[in-house]
Amino acid sequence: MRIVAPVSRVAEIEPLAQAGASEFYCGLVPPDWLGRFHAINANRRPSGNLTRYEDLARAIDIAHAHEATVSLVLNAQHYSAAQIGAAEDIAGRFAALGGDALIVSDLGLLHALALRFPALRMHVSSVATCRNAGAARLCRELGAQRLILPRDVTLAEAASIAAEVPDIEIEAFVLNDGCIFEEGACHTIHLPGQLGGPICLDRFEYRYRRRDGGAVSPRLAARLQQNDAEYERWLWYRFSCGFSTTPEGLPYGPCGLCAVPVLRRGRVAAIKIAGREAPTARKLASVRMVRSVLERVRAGEDDAAVRAFAVGLRPSESHCATGYMCYYPEVLRVEGR
Amino acid sequence: MNTPELAVAACHALDLAWTAAATAERAEHWQRLHGDAELATWLAPLQPTHLYFGSEFCEHLLPSARALREALSQAKSAGLRLVLLTPVASPEVLTQLDVLLPTLPAGSEVVVNDWGVAHELASRFGDLRPVAGRVLCRMTKDPRIDAGWAGRCGHGLAAPTMHALFSRLGIRRLEIDVPLFADEEVFADLPLPAAVHLPYVYVAKGRMCRAGSLSVTGTERFAVGRRCQKECLRFSALASRPGRADVAASVQLGNTLFSRHSAAMASSLRQAVDSKRVARLVVPGAPL
Repeated sequence: MRIVAPVSRVAEIEPLAQAGASEFYCGLVPPDWLGRFHAINANRRPSGNLTRYEDLARAIDIAHAHEATVSLVLNAQHYSAAQIGAAEDIAGRFAALGGDALIVSDLGLLHALALRFPALRMHVSSVATCRNAGAARLCRELGAQRLILPRDVTLAEAASIAAEVPDIEIEAFVLNDGCIFEEGACHTIHLPGQLGGPICLDRFEYRYRRRDGGAVSPRLAARLQQNDAEYERWLWYRFSCGFSTTPEGLPYGPCGLCAVPVLRRGRVAAIKIAGREAPTARKLASVRMVRSVLERVRAGEDDAAVRAFAVGLRPSESHCATGYMCYYPEVLRVEGR
Repeated sequence: MNTPELAVAACHALDLAWTAAATAERAEHWQRLHGDAELATWLAPLQPTHLYFGSEFCEHLLPSARALREALSQAKSAGLRLVLLTPVASPEVLTQLDVLLPTLPAGSEVVVNDWGVAHELASRFGDLRPVAGRVLCRMTKDPRIDAGWAGRCGHGLAAPTMHALFSRLGIRRLEIDVPLFADEEVFADLPLPAAVHLPYVYVAKGRMCRAGSLSVTGTERFAVGRRCQKECLRFSALASRPGRADVAASVQLGNTLFSRHSAAMASSLRQAVDSKRVARLVVPGAPL
């Protein structure tokens, strides 16, 4: 099981590799993309991208020196016809630099890239929202070697896809940065904060109404109000406990560390740390946390011991007990039996 | 392309008698459902041709085999062709579709919002016709933005790579929303005949459902894949941003955020229909 870590600066690669990451992913928005399209959407993230091919080349060299790989993300929600050609050009430059894999969300583009650059591995981005065996089969047929599952899957679903389509690797989220809507089915823009920010964090007010035109009863209104309050609490957890860390810099927020044993038994090949835009210290702390858990799993510790270790890392017993910080809260159910 | 077909969308049984009624009665019906006299007057001359049944957005609203058989019968009685709506699919949805898809008459359209469902149809149900749904036909539709963002609101449907993927999967029609900043050329560049949804655009869908968590307690409240009590069939929420000047009203229905067409979007759609660039209109058969 490989640890996949985000990078946005070349200088991050060496310390993250030394901390235990064996795969890196990064974005690149070259100046000619900006010049042609006046947009920064060469991939899903508007920031946290490299901007020069020279930096990409150095990132690849440093990663390879540490026997790690580099994947380049080309995972915008969609590309126009003109952008497809430009994305292929970026892929070609990446291949020529000795890059290892492309992370692609547009399955049409993925197939074209797989045919054109057979030396590159093709990884299907979580933004493609492929979360069943039929989708995994299609991805394989189109030339993908790996499917990165979206955040919104259960452990049983991940394992069933891996079992049904064994000739494609499965990667699953393990740490940081939750989404509220399904990323690939959210047709919005992460607006600047002064315009509202991501839509799921924007301050919408809800006014409930019955669809048959009747009045919402006081009892239902009270239940909805309580549900909204609980949702706000869940949202705080989903966004990294208010984007906070421990005094030592260990990140709170969406976490699947307790699920690593189940993911590993489910033949998940790689576990992903999210957060390209995050500070280096957060990335480093994240890799160390994942590695320390994975080492215990590899050493054969049982699930309960791994969970106790993972919960004690930050420590975060009270947060973990809510289940709201979990990518895979069913772990708590399984262990509660 | 002549007068567009008209589809009525539903996820549960509807009274369809009104579909064969006189124009005035149909206008009353549309007015009652969507509260827009201009829209009602525009739609009323069109006699519905299709019943869209199922859900584009939620795995829990996929009909049972019995409900689908009843809907097929009801649609046939009303002279409508049934189109099955399918959502982004968990593995369990694929299992359910194994039961549902053989129920459909040969030649039936299935709106797919999941590449896995499209693949299953292409490889195992060759007598059915997959249609690319709104989740697959991506287009930025953030109701909070102004025209300064119009350059970010395109789609990738005209790209040859997407067309090749559609061809590979036997997809010959697509479903789309009205762009936020549509101009007179809207829909002119689509590679396939398009069904256009109105009077709402779908903005974002989750798998987690706030309303569907109303009756869930404990650590898995707001978690994905949990059974709900289909609260979305009973209520929705008007979603607004205090202090902001958003031109369109938003509605949260179950796991999905919708936004009502602005006057400019409605006008663009009518122009596109007049220019015969819309093959089918799809209207919710119940108020959101």
